[in-house]
Amino acid sequence: MSIVPKETVEVIAQSIGITNLLPEAALMLAPDVEYRVREIMQEAIKCMRHSKRTTLTASDVDGALNLRNVEPIYGFASGAPFRFRKAIGHRDLFYTDDREVDFKEVIEAPLPKAPLDTEIVCHWLAIEGVQPAIPENAPLEVIRAPAENKPHEQKDGPLIDIRLPVKHVLSRELQLYFQKIAELAMSKSNSALFKEALVSLASDSGLHPLVPYFTNFIADEVSRGLNDFQLLFNLMHTVRSILQNPHIHIEPYLHQLMPSVVTCLVSRKLGNRFADNHWELRDFTANLVALICKRYGTVYITLQSRLTKTLINALLDPKKALTQHYGAIQGLAALGHNVVRLLIVPNLEPYLRLLEPELAAEKQKNQAKSYEAWRVYGALLRATGLCIHDRLKIFPLSPSPSPSFLHKGKGKIINTEPQKRKLSVDSSENRSPQKRLITKDGPDGVQSQDHTGVAPMQVDNPVENDNQPQNSAQPSSSEQTSDANESESRNGMVKESGRGRAITMKAILDQIWKDDLDSGRLLVKLHELYGDKILPFIPSTEMSVFL
Amino acid sequence: MDPEQINEFVVGYLKKKGFSSAAKDLEDFHHQNNGSSLSPIDYHNDPELTKLIRSFSQQEDDPTRYRECYSKLRSWAYNSLDLYKHELLRVMYPVFIHCYMDLVGKGHTQEARAFFNSFRKDHEMVHLRDLQKLEGVLAPSHLEEMEFARSLRKSKVNIKICQYSYDLLLQYLHRTESTLMLGIINEHINFQVYSGQPTSSSDDIEAVTIVGSFQDTANHINQKEIQWGLLEDSLEDRLEKTGGLLSDSEKGQGESKDDADDSKKRSTETGKQGSSIKKLKKDKAGNATAKVARLETSTVPPTPRVKPELALPVMSTDVEQSILEDLRNRVQLSSVAMPSVSFYTFVNTHNGLNCASISHDGSLVAGGFSDSSIKVWDMAKIGQTGSGALQGENDTNDPTIAPNGRRNYTLLLGHSGPVYSATFSPPGDFVLSSSADTTIRLWSTQLNANLVCYKGHNYPVWDVQFSPFGHYFASCSHDRTARIWSMDRIQPLRIMAGHLSDVDCVQWHPNCNYIATGSSDKTVRLWDVQTGECVRIFIGHRSMVLSLAMSPDGRYMSSGDEDGTIMMWDLSTARCITPLMGHNSCVWSLAYSGEGSLLASGSADCTVKLWDVTSSTKSTKAEEKNVSSNRLRSLRTFPTKSTPVHALRFSRRNLLFAAGAISKPAS
Repeated sequence: MSIVPKETVEVIAQSIGITNLLPEAALMLAPDVEYRVREIMQEAIKCMRHSKRTTLTASDVDGALNLRNVEPIYGFASGAPFRFRKAIGHRDLFYTDDREVDFKEVIEAPLPKAPLDTEIVCHWLAIEGVQPAIPENAPLEVIRAPAENKPHEQKDGPLIDIRLPVKHVLSRELQLYFQKIAELAMSKSNSALFKEALVSLASDSGLHPLVPYFTNFIADEVSRGLNDFQLLFNLMHTVRSILQNPHIHIEPYLHQLMPSVVTCLVSRKLGNRFADNHWELRDFTANLVALICKRYGTVYITLQSRLTKTLINALLDPKKALTQHYGAIQGLAALGHNVVRLLIVPNLEPYLRLLEPELAAEKQKNQAKSYEAWRVYGALLRATGLCIHDRLKIFPLSPSPSPSFLHKGKGKIINTEPQKRKLSVDSSENRSPQKRLITKDGPDGVQSQDHTGVAPMQVDNPVENDNQPQNSAQPSSSEQTSDANESESRNGMVKESGRGRAITMKAILDQIWKDDLDSGRLLVKLHELYGDKILPFIPSTEMSVFL
Repeated sequence: MDPEQINEFVVGYLKKKGFSSAAKDLEDFHHQNNGSSLSPIDYHNDPELTKLIRSFSQQEDDPTRYRECYSKLRSWAYNSLDLYKHELLRVMYPVFIHCYMDLVGKGHTQEARAFFNSFRKDHEMVHLRDLQKLEGVLAPSHLEEMEFARSLRKSKVNIKICQYSYDLLLQYLHRTESTLMLGIINEHINFQVYSGQPTSSSDDIEAVTIVGSFQDTANHINQKEIQWGLLEDSLEDRLEKTGGLLSDSEKGQGESKDDADDSKKRSTETGKQGSSIKKLKKDKAGNATAKVARLETSTVPPTPRVKPELALPVMSTDVEQSILEDLRNRVQLSSVAMPSVSFYTFVNTHNGLNCASISHDGSLVAGGFSDSSIKVWDMAKIGQTGSGALQGENDTNDPTIAPNGRRNYTLLLGHSGPVYSATFSPPGDFVLSSSADTTIRLWSTQLNANLVCYKGHNYPVWDVQFSPFGHYFASCSHDRTARIWSMDRIQPLRIMAGHLSDVDCVQWHPNCNYIATGSSDKTVRLWDVQTGECVRIFIGHRSMVLSLAMSPDGRYMSSGDEDGTIMMWDLSTARCITPLMGHNSCVWSLAYSGEGSLLASGSADCTVKLWDVTSSTKSTKAEEKNVSSNRLRSLRTFPTKSTPVHALRFSRRNLLFAAGAISKPAS
């Protein structure tokens, strides 16, 4: 009945020397013990309140005992509140940590530092009702936090004085500046003056008050001028300049800016003339998007995920135009190789299957459409190729080449250099036919495309062989085994490296294969999908490593 | 005894007394009865009576009946009509606590505890603190010992109830024959039945506190007349009068009168003439602002003036001049013109700071510590002008400010217990401190020494306050009294007794004729200083009252409690104008701005809040009926880093000073 069990009373009685306390007496005493304890606590709480504290301390209980003319309990003179420990195995049983102290240690210990003397520090909590932002005051977040849970303040609604929005005063100079920039952006020319203006936008300080106006302007003009290619390009340049300006704090306006930028990336139609190179605009915007994500992705964690979601949705929707697909691919590619690997590569096969009929030019009556398809194909190829390139580059180079190998390594470098050049030529070849298409506009464009598919194959046959060791796990992919086209030097190199590294590299390679079997598989998969077109993307150094 | 004998005895008695006709009737009656041999009341055959008797006997030996009856009544009340429900529920609390105390009183401790715990939740919201007190009562002896319980047992609770609710309740009690409940209700509740519709549940503040018998006395006391007006011929008055160009000549007259009064003093201060001329020049400059102030104040209905009941000390001329100067330079504060707040943070107090006090000009800060010491800092000397401008930092090496070696404060030692309160005299030349050693000590800030030790209280003195004019001071203590003292006597002049628990805080009315005291019995009382009588009781707080403040015009008072509620009271009607909700911990300190338009509150939740007081008082005057709209509003909240605000003070120029000890956040 009482919260003090009779066992407690018995224990207390024993501790003060009463051994023969009857259990009935203990039972009778228990309620009184509880009452007295409550009484003491009530007085102790009074003492605590008058000491202007909200934590009860031992001195408060001593004060309460004093009030009742009871001798205080000695040995608990610490000013700080007690640290209670939870008794293991019990839900609400606590005890104070009472360690045994070695007397000798206490005597021999150096004197503790004298506590610092009490002082008064003065600061302004508020100046005419406004809290100055000084270190002595609570940071502003703390001020905002309680504003959220102020139910009674919100309740008396009519009494709250509603503050009108603050009038933003723009200086005359800033107004002129804004007008001039806006005019230049609207002029649709790519004049030198506009370039100067962009440089000014990217570097001048003191433009911050104009940022809301610029974001508004860009959003308005983008939504209005989707047919005007040059305008859009100018606007995107403006965006980039604003982003580059180190004095501008763009974060609060990003949410306004992003929709316009993404529009320029994945809109169905940008510009109304055929000559408008909207591909270039999309490429440019893709880089812009990547820049934004890189810079502010840490501040807005959801930024990149939301963006990639938008883009991948655009890509995977077969109803969307090919131009939109192109923009989405470019945007995703610009976001980095990981994005490509995680989002594009898994969808690659079905997508390419979807694209195939468009690519087959014979059936295609609409030239423009087939051109677009090839454009998308090229973008895909580039994205995945760069991705695999990056993956392969992760592989460590040979850890400690032996001196004898160093010599041969030199030879290798000499060897690889022209190959690298060749690769770059290849990639330019890979690209150039597509560009040529613009001028050709003929059915032979497809033939030239076929040609590009063939041409590097001849050159890169040995490179294909280089992949053999890696792909040995999947013999299916090695249908093109070593053939007569191999050059002498290359043959020698294969042999040499095969011999020289057989011992040192084998262990490492095993490991690398294990680790990067998936990238090996990826490579195989890509090769299956693209044929040899993927090969220029395989870094030459890596290929030679795997020789 | 034989019934025949009794009859004979009664008849004989009646005859002796001369009631012959009555005796004859009785004899006739008995003869008839004897003939029919019928006893007048048949105890055994009347079923109603047997039931009643049985219920009485049952009630005696069965403690579970309390629980049954109470829970029946409770479920009936909860299921009653919505319109009358709150009135009926109000009856439940007294019934509950009396059931509990009955059970305890009869020794059924276990049942009492079980009963208490099962229904405690119903009343926790409103009566938490009372329940906490009662919870400990477990034996009949405790009921006798505990004053709160005793007063509850002795007195009846007044409950206002509408006619229909009352009828409902009576019908229920009779129908169910719950004589037990009926008994408790009859014994402990005094119904004030009124006709008409039940009142809305919000405006019954009295229902919140059960204060025993003195609800009646409170109502009675609150009928008394009080003179809440300001003193006639106060400095503010004089400032208003002399606001115009007349000021120079009038002041000249006043000075000459003063000069005539104490010519001796005059002769010693030869240089004063020059300085006063300078001051007069300054006054002219200040006149412009004073005029504006005068115009503004003239729109407010003038506050009545009263004569002082105490002999007030004479203020020296230069003190008066400096005060007038301050008043003239006062910043007018309102909801749009906020004050500046200068914060004094105590560092390295090691949890020992019990109280802080700031002098009227903000230049002196005193701290009372639990190690019995008082420390006084002169902020003007620590590179801080009185008006609070920040000039450089503390320079402890400056020889002028460190008379005691490295210390830059004055240490006042003398108490032998924790110091609970300190207060500065208005000019700042004296400090009073009160301590757990039951004494009050007077210290001089010029001599840095203890002058007087006032002994009178029997228990720790919780609070001491100088009167607005100095010389007199009031103290309050755990011994449930407040006392009025003057500096030159070591005995108290008046003892104010009446509170039912500790008197925790005390505050002077601006006209010095009254003091207000806040107590742990959750009431605030206003006392007449001259007669020592209680003239007002303010009921409404739900926990211990910790701080009090009087508006400068003497019309209003505000009080802050342990839960963070601040109540603003109208002194003349003893009614709460509005509770100010916002703080979520103890309100340690309250202060009105110089002209009374703002109220500042400092709390243990580490914030200083500013409240607009004018909006509410105006609207109450304008339309009394619109009760809900005249709530005071919180204007600003200034959070400190982690410093509970112990003290607040508006300087005469309306700069707000705040003080507190920084507390390390619990790791």
